[in-house]
Amino acid sequence: MTHVSIQELTKVYPGADTPALDRLSLEIASGELTALLGPSGCGKTTTMKMIAGLLEPTSGDVRFDDRSILRDKPEHRGVVMVFQNYLLFPYMSVADNVGFGLKMRKTDPTEIKRRVSEMLDLVKLPDVGDRRPSALSGGQQQRIALARALIVQPEVLLLDEPLSNLDAHLRFEMRDLIRSLQQEMGITTIFVTHDQEEAVVLADRVALILDGQMKQYDRADAFYKRPVDEATARFFGGHNFIPGKSVGGTFDGPLGQLTLADGAVEGAGKLTFRPENVRVGQGDGNNLSARVADVIYLGTQTRLKLRVGETEIDAVVNPNEVEGFKPGDIVPIHLPPQTLWVIS
Amino acid sequence: MSDRLKIILLLLPAMSVIVLLFFGGLLIGLMRSFNYMPVIGLTEPNLQAYINVFTDEEFYWSFLLSFHISFTSTLISCILAVGAALLLRRAFIGRAVINFLFQLNLTVPHLVGAIGILYLFSQSGVFARLAAEVDLIQRPADFPAMVFDPFAIGIILQYVWKEVPFIGVIVLANMQALGENYESVARSLGASKWQTFRHVLLPLIFPGILSASVIVFAFTFGAYEIPALLGANYPAALPVLAYRSYTDVDLAARPEAMALAIIIAILSAVMIFIYIRYSRKRVRS
Amino acid sequence: MIGQDGLWTKTFRYITCLLLVTWLVLPLIPLAIWSVARGWFFPDILPRMWTLDAWRYALSDTSGVLDALWLTIGISLAATVLSILVGVPAGRALGMYKFKGKEVIELMILAPTIVPGIAVVLGVHTVFIYLGLTNTVHGVILVHLIPTLPYMTLVMAGIFSNYDPAFEAQARSLGASPLKTFWYVTLPAIMPGIIVGGLFAFLVSWSQYILTLLVGGGRVVTLPLLLFNFATSGRNDITGAIGMIYILPGILILTLTAKQLSGRSGAVGGFGRI
Repeated sequence: MTHVSIQELTKVYPGADTPALDRLSLEIASGELTALLGPSGCGKTTTMKMIAGLLEPTSGDVRFDDRSILRDKPEHRGVVMVFQNYLLFPYMSVADNVGFGLKMRKTDPTEIKRRVSEMLDLVKLPDVGDRRPSALSGGQQQRIALARALIVQPEVLLLDEPLSNLDAHLRFEMRDLIRSLQQEMGITTIFVTHDQEEAVVLADRVALILDGQMKQYDRADAFYKRPVDEATARFFGGHNFIPGKSVGGTFDGPLGQLTLADGAVEGAGKLTFRPENVRVGQGDGNNLSARVADVIYLGTQTRLKLRVGETEIDAVVNPNEVEGFKPGDIVPIHLPPQTLWVIS
Repeated sequence: MSDRLKIILLLLPAMSVIVLLFFGGLLIGLMRSFNYMPVIGLTEPNLQAYINVFTDEEFYWSFLLSFHISFTSTLISCILAVGAALLLRRAFIGRAVINFLFQLNLTVPHLVGAIGILYLFSQSGVFARLAAEVDLIQRPADFPAMVFDPFAIGIILQYVWKEVPFIGVIVLANMQALGENYESVARSLGASKWQTFRHVLLPLIFPGILSASVIVFAFTFGAYEIPALLGANYPAALPVLAYRSYTDVDLAARPEAMALAIIIAILSAVMIFIYIRYSRKRVRS
Repeated sequence: MIGQDGLWTKTFRYITCLLLVTWLVLPLIPLAIWSVARGWFFPDILPRMWTLDAWRYALSDTSGVLDALWLTIGISLAATVLSILVGVPAGRALGMYKFKGKEVIELMILAPTIVPGIAVVLGVHTVFIYLGLTNTVHGVILVHLIPTLPYMTLVMAGIFSNYDPAFEAQARSLGASPLKTFWYVTLPAIMPGIIVGGLFAFLVSWSQYILTLLVGGGRVVTLPLLLFNFATSGRNDITGAIGMIYILPGILILTLTAKQLSGRSGAVGGFGRI
């Protein structure tokens, strides 16, 4: 089990004005599964390549259990990176692909054979060893790429967008496989993704990187309940941001005085709440009267565009609750205090 | 108009040219090599030309020489081309210049390169003069024979000069299309730089190298003007031998020339076969 | 780039690059010097005197160099135009349609790019004697089609395989006649391919030696034939001047098309024959 410490890691590509990655610091506890989340081009893959030794950092350090690994060659770091498009060697059989890392270490061929078949069992593809990678489906190729990485028993596993090339039904299968293998083998794992759903579904903890800088590093649910700023909230699908002032447990703004939960930030700021936390009907506190501007039926949910005075509010509700709603109706809504969050 | 008819009409002119000129030329050559040409009264095919060719010692020396020229040139060119491509794939100052020179060299006809090699490596050439300047040799005759020599060094030098950029450009395009990710995977899985080259990059670019090699091998085996200019009188390269027999004052030697032409054609057919087989295999995998 | 290179690796790279550059231009240097040299004998490293005599002779009316130049340009242009006229339709058939026997057709078109000219031209010569095409410019142009047409066809097949015929259907439905459709829709779309393929065909024809020598029978004297004759007769100064003239179109074409020559284009195979 390896503790990974990333310290002020920075990369400026030659000729570029702004750094691709700006002083990223991150502590990843041993055995944890961490997501680096951010839009494409935010420096995620750059970070991974620097950890793997495939790219030289401009400054900063990467430490495994308090030992800097930046001087180590890529093949001696104990890090394996699995690329997004799998990159199985097309001219080798599946078994040769899986056994590649052991062959490079000059492991005895019979031993390689034994461990390859073990590994193929583990990823639940015991019978494909003789095939060519191109004969496999995308999901199967992904699992072979995983097997090829895990067979060398890395200390740290890096996954580049592990679920994004897969169909919806394969995603959960792969998620379970990655989680169970990672936990069983106790490998500290970092994966990058641009998809917040992928991050939330798979990771213990998520680091959100926007514009080359880390915004928030937290458990997945915190990004919904307690985003550090508006950009973070928006990245996770937040819509409602209302300017005002937080004083002694109430928020004073265009919606009037709203009661906040205990421990809210004091001073000028923005009130945010998730569309799915807006309730239709009367409730405990923060009752408002809203005019319906639009009703958008989405199948399993309905999106309401509401107006309270001049302020627009987005709500996502159960379709049954709003049957018969039409634009122009005046409806009661309420905002439960524990779902409100103030960004300073 | 049906697609079928359209395809036939579109292909007709090109196929006529290729069938009449190329395959027609080959067929007539084949018939003549068997001494069979009904139009001029030769109605009894025989193997005399082939018997003459295969009982002539010069043929074997010529064949060996041509094979040696092609094999050595292709092998050296491939190795240097891969090295050059490895060098050129990295971004560095001056890469654009070398890239341009690479391509410039591609447009220079072989004949010009051959004359350049002649002026560089002959016994009174530039290198001989440099050797004289530093007192390594006194007279031109002291300089080792590198053109008109039995080992065809000058010819091979010329082919290497022309074909390194040719193979290099193809291999470089191959490498650029592949990117570096496969190599990154290998490094990350524990392969050293050398292992990565040997087990990953080389197999990936091998198809490109092979197809370029086939073209180079066949060309160097069948080219006339370079061995005609830079080669020794005896043994002469196979194409030179064929041309000499064809233009011999004794018209009886013509079937032998045709037989030699057919032998060259058969060798290139083998090359095409290798090429097709390999490219098919690639398509399947 | 994977990892970082040490100082040693960098030095090594620069030295090999320097060697490579030197090697690439080296054979052209003595030709260039000879063309302006007088009395450059062993063991002089550089000529005793410099002169433009060789150039003056080469560009005079009496030497035949200019005649050979115009003749070569004419033959190569004619071979190129014919290759375009014949190769574009064939490229369209191979690039846009799937049909039975396509592989065989492709193989037949590929074959002349690999089989050496000498293997074919002896037979062609025999036939041309009966057709009265030997020793004529027409015969030489025809025989040059053997190496040029396959490249033209293969380049156009590549172009047409990325070409969407729906544009033509759209033009027709908007009221364009077949001829106008070809002129205003098809031709502009395939023009880059025609230009690149055409330039290649020109260069391939430009560099032919043995085909011209045999079919032209020594009567059709193109630049390479003249160059070979001067090279073997020991007139190094004139050889140098002709050599310089002879490589000019290639350099010109290269500067025009440098971007297209990335090696990924099928046309690059044509370089194997220059």
